Amino acid sequence: MQDFLFGLNYNTWILTALLVLPLVGVLPVLLAPSASAKHIALVVTILEFLLSAGLWWAFDPTSGGIQFGVVAPWLPQWGINYRVGLDGISLFMVLLSTGLMPLAVLGSWKYITERERGYYALMLTLTTGMLGVFLALDLFVFYVFWEVMLIPMYFIIGVWGGKNRLYAAIKFFIYTFLGSLLMLVAILVMVWKVAESTGTVSFAYADLLEHSPQLGTLAPWLFAAFFLAFAIKVPMFPFHTWLPDAHVEAPTAGSVILASILLKMGTYGFLRFAVPFFPEVALSPVVTTIVLVSAVVGIIYGALVAMVQPDVKKLVAYSSVSHLGFVMLGIWAGSLQSVQGALMIMIGHGLSTGALFFLIGMLYERRHTREIAAYGGLARVVPMLSLIFVVTSLASIGLPGLNGFVGEFLVLLGSFARHPIATGLATTGVIFAAMYLLPAVQRIFFNKLDNPANEHLSDLTPRELWVMLPLVFGMVWLGLYPKPVLSRMEAASKHYVELTQPGRDRYSAPSEGIHAERDR
Amino acid sequence: MNPVLDLTSPLGITISLTPEIVLSICAMLVLLVVSWRHKTPADSRLAGWLSVVSLIVTGGALAWLSLQQFESEGLPFMVALDGFRYLSSALVLVLALASTLLSIGYLEREGITAPEYYVLLLLGTVGLMFMTASQDLIVFFLALETMSMAVYVLAGYDRRSPASSEAGLKYFLIGAFASGFLLYGIALLYGSTGSTNLALIGAQFADRPIPGMGLIGMGLLLIGFGFKVAAVPFHMWTPDVYEGAPTPVTGFMATGVKAAAFVAFARVLLSCFPQAAPQWRPVIWVLAVVTMILGNLVALNQTSLKRLLAYSSVAHAGYLLVALWPGSPLGTAALLLYLVAYGVTTFAAFGILSALGTGGERDITLAEISGLAQSRPWLSFGLAVCMLSLLGFPGTLGFIGKWYILSAVIAEKNAPLAVVLVLTTVVSAGYYLPVIMAMYMRPARAPLVYYSVKLAPAAAATVAIAIIATLVFGFWPTELLNAAGASAASLLNGAASAVAGR
Repeated sequence: MQDFLFGLNYNTWILTALLVLPLVGVLPVLLAPSASAKHIALVVTILEFLLSAGLWWAFDPTSGGIQFGVVAPWLPQWGINYRVGLDGISLFMVLLSTGLMPLAVLGSWKYITERERGYYALMLTLTTGMLGVFLALDLFVFYVFWEVMLIPMYFIIGVWGGKNRLYAAIKFFIYTFLGSLLMLVAILVMVWKVAESTGTVSFAYADLLEHSPQLGTLAPWLFAAFFLAFAIKVPMFPFHTWLPDAHVEAPTAGSVILASILLKMGTYGFLRFAVPFFPEVALSPVVTTIVLVSAVVGIIYGALVAMVQPDVKKLVAYSSVSHLGFVMLGIWAGSLQSVQGALMIMIGHGLSTGALFFLIGMLYERRHTREIAAYGGLARVVPMLSLIFVVTSLASIGLPGLNGFVGEFLVLLGSFARHPIATGLATTGVIFAAMYLLPAVQRIFFNKLDNPANEHLSDLTPRELWVMLPLVFGMVWLGLYPKPVLSRMEAASKHYVELTQPGRDRYSAPSEGIHAERDR
Repeated sequence: MNPVLDLTSPLGITISLTPEIVLSICAMLVLLVVSWRHKTPADSRLAGWLSVVSLIVTGGALAWLSLQQFESEGLPFMVALDGFRYLSSALVLVLALASTLLSIGYLEREGITAPEYYVLLLLGTVGLMFMTASQDLIVFFLALETMSMAVYVLAGYDRRSPASSEAGLKYFLIGAFASGFLLYGIALLYGSTGSTNLALIGAQFADRPIPGMGLIGMGLLLIGFGFKVAAVPFHMWTPDVYEGAPTPVTGFMATGVKAAAFVAFARVLLSCFPQAAPQWRPVIWVLAVVTMILGNLVALNQTSLKRLLAYSSVAHAGYLLVALWPGSPLGTAALLLYLVAYGVTTFAAFGILSALGTGGERDITLAEISGLAQSRPWLSFGLAVCMLSLLGFPGTLGFIGKWYILSAVIAEKNAPLAVVLVLTTVVSAGYYLPVIMAMYMRPARAPLVYYSVKLAPAAAATVAIAIIATLVFGFWPTELLNAAGASAASLLNGAASAVAGR
């Protein structure tokens, strides 16, 4: 397989193709009759997934550096170039995004009935934006993708969302915009500061990474700006308040993409930019304490708030705050296991929370309510849906054998040595997860079937099964046999851990992988 | 070696003013035509198209002049011969052309049959071009007054509308007030240096501290310019005038007049007082910060779109002041680039607004455009792009402009100013986004009359080109960046060599 792909020069064009294909698809979607927009979007997203699937084989798991790198001039005089590339960290974010998009399109099939062309065109634009964020290796390009992705999501929430959609959409936009503009200032300051010593202006990730130790006293300020941008996106407690609104008001596929991919951009930003640029600041005792406290509070607070939600969608939304707390803990613990665990949670949360939002959307399409109290005893009426919901919930809780367990276990294991108290407190989050999700499952699917409105619901249609089965397959696979995934992310995680070793002189660092992209 | 133009000879000065002279003659010719034919809408159209031709011919003259790459000999004279002048004159001409094209359909729809309108627009443009070219305070002042006289009348052109008359009168009174400051500042500068030539004043101040009288003169000039560019606290006239004036005139004032005022501001500041940066920088800093904060905060409260854009233009004056603050080549290039970005986008926004008003100029409120996207998809798309560009969103020219300003400020190590700029930009999302929200996300109202009003083909094409330019240059700004950089360098080098040559 690998030979075949390299025979096609797969490594030289794949990333650009992934970024361009969805945009190419936008045109036919807009021009076609409204009824066929979704078909075209589905074809494009499936094609996109098939293209990206080759990455799985073409990726070299032994290298911790950048692969598939491409450089093309954009604004060369200002040190801005189109630089993309991928390593073991972004590989899975890319696969997660391309894998989810066809499901998101399929999941919107019946739900979106108005202005379909616009909706599917925005979904495709969103695909490019998300992939761009994960692939960009030029800070300017990264910033552009980071912002551009906001607009489709803003429209998806604002046009096709629930009752309170306008408020949710603008809140989502302004929160993210605030963080990212301050990050832009930080990027520019970094670039100018580095240019002063090197004499050339460059926005390239590799250059900035190499020279970031010279930033000296500016580093805390710059880190703060990056931190704010990413912390809002994650979202870390106390920057999470946009999340419940956006998740609840967004249409099903919007919530799925928000939870599965957009939140990961924040944690990805920490892994790729904020921590490696400023390890001395990021891992200083003060910042570490702040992050750990906020992560642990997020884990526990998210779980406690989820527990009392009458609205099942809101419950899942708050559970995201809790899960992402684990990821932050893993990133800051900085051991190989904890970083790999954090990555596993990022993938696993993408699958299981995405699946939960799909399922809630399916319930909503049938009953037009998300109140937990309105349901009860559904297991007898819709056995298939119930079965999948239960499996997904168990995966989300972290039952061994399903995906959630692997990541959480690795994070807790890898963090305990360095931060025993925080890890101990975080462990309670696993218990809390069972305490908010299982009662909800029980009240929806078991108990007595006492509401006559629930008696004649139809079970999953084949289309809905097609949406859910890949996700369930992923959850089981990651839970039972995560080795192929772990082995592909291992070298990159190691590289990350090396980059963040305190006091290390980065000039002599074995970062050949990062540089390979530049020299090519 | 570039050809040398002797600016002491009548021929030399004539050549150096070719575009201005061509435009003046054209304006007189149009006036002549109009004095015979001013009765029917067809006459008005004729005058409009003649103006379009005049502006294009002037553009040709300007292109010819800039391609000759003349250099002046000896001491600097009353008009500049540098890339800074050519680029900003070109910008002013393009904006005037766009406003004329927009007016042709608009005047007819509003039933204003008075083709002198176009003559005034042309004369105003002559004033603007002199403003961008002047290298002497007296020439600048005369240019400013020429422009102002024309625009006072244009603002109040819709006689039947009290708001329009109010706009004209208000603009006149405030303009006269501002002129007073400018003139007194010029007088004091003359008193302290014995010259009104920018380069000569600059040379006088090059190696000695500015005396008190000169400083007061500089301060008065700053105030005068503050009025002209609508910086807080000299902005009070803006919302009423912008709201009352006929929409194409508002577009012209918000873009062309503002651009020329900023260009002249930059030239005066950087030619006369390059050494006095420690004195004027704090003033510009405070003006910029106050303008950005107040302009953006007050805009949040507006429901009328024209007023909203008026306050937004105040806020943008703040961003432009930020670009002026460094006084560096990069900052000046950023100023020019932002003027282009802001000019193109704002013009397009006003163009779209003019399509929404009908029969008797009226306010368009946010509530009235709700659901517009369903009945007028292209118009809504255009306005959405304008709003995103004004917001400075990546993918649009507005973002390139903001990025450049931020770079210029950060290169001069003033991160706080950059932070204020981005924070106020976040605030501005609070009024730009509701426009998009109203068009796309709110339910459509019962169809209103003006939902079916179409832009005249010429105007529609102009607006479309502006929107496309906003998007295309947002992705490929290299040429624009190079042009802005080169012309900014020409201004600063000119100022430096004038000082050195003495």
